[in-house]
Amino acid sequence: MRKEITIAADARGSRGKNEARRLRAAGRIPAVVYGHGGDAIAVTVSPKEMNRILHSSTGHNTIFDLSVAGAAGGPVMVVDWQHHPVRGSLLHIDMKRIDLTKRIRVKVPVHTHGDPVGVKIQGGLFELINREIEIECLPDDIPEHFTYDVSALEIGQSLRAGDVPLAGSMKLTGHAELVIAHVVSTRGSDETAATEEGAEAPAKAEPEVMKKGKKEEEGAAPAGDKGKKK
Amino acid sequence: MLMPKKVKYRKTQRGRRKGLAWRGSSLSYGDFGLKALRNCYITDRQIEAARIAMTRFVKRGGKVWIRLFPDKPVTKKPQETRMGKGKGAPEGWVCVVRPGKILFEMEGVDANTAKEAMRLAAQKLPIPCKFVSREMAA
Repeated sequence: MRKEITIAADARGSRGKNEARRLRAAGRIPAVVYGHGGDAIAVTVSPKEMNRILHSSTGHNTIFDLSVAGAAGGPVMVVDWQHHPVRGSLLHIDMKRIDLTKRIRVKVPVHTHGDPVGVKIQGGLFELINREIEIECLPDDIPEHFTYDVSALEIGQSLRAGDVPLAGSMKLTGHAELVIAHVVSTRGSDETAATEEGAEAPAKAEPEVMKKGKKEEEGAAPAGDKGKKK
Repeated sequence: MLMPKKVKYRKTQRGRRKGLAWRGSSLSYGDFGLKALRNCYITDRQIEAARIAMTRFVKRGGKVWIRLFPDKPVTKKPQETRMGKGKGAPEGWVCVVRPGKILFEMEGVDANTAKEAMRLAAQKLPIPCKFVSREMAA
């Protein structure tokens, strides 16, 4: 979804991890812009502005304008980003130039609402397997998210990618059979919970060592096979 | 207890555990998770104790994913043994954990229940951990 946001980026001449570290210490993050037949440009952007875009309702599918070193740039979209494993701060962003007249592939989140019958009445467990589906559409038609009412789902039933209603220029590119959510029975997990209490510490056995296993197999194999191997 | 079914060698060297968990550091399955903040060896017993603490607290409903597997054997020499005479006997199984690794994930419960379950699980582990959720990460 296109938004009237302009992000200021500075061209980045220096490369390498040390320069990137200095940039981050100075409150900027390294980024790269590519696509639409143009050259890849290394830039720096403000992590605060990028976080605002990534945390917005449209998320990474937001199409915004990027001005590099004051010059007006075209529309771009965030295609990849890295977080620090512990601090969670943004480390790097990949942006792609977008041609607003060409169809693009994007991943759109699927939101579910309603309590499934399988959970409310039958006591099952509702599980979200895939949170996004990949669609192809015009950049202006990218939806914020899809919503689907799952209140009719019973135990054993699932919501698949093909069930999500698409509108306008949207076309599903992934498998239509891709499971998005399902309701499963919790009986299996109850059984494991019951067994865990009784069998706290089973006799400690060593795992099979692969070399040993091979010898045993050879020993157990018929004599004819042995001869062939030798 | 968790341990491999089949191994190539009974004993391994200790290896290094410095650095950060660049892989396995984001939520993949559930809505809530427990993130390691230090590096350590987590034993199979600790994983099991944490799992039991979590599942007992949430009782019914909710699903737990264990994102770590103890695939590294640790050895120990017997008491009052002189040094030398080879490496000790396998004592147990550990998982090498680096800061940032998601240890457990949970789904199907509300945020407060998940947070309390993760707090109980973290008490069974030898390192400080942090509760993370998809909303916080998004």
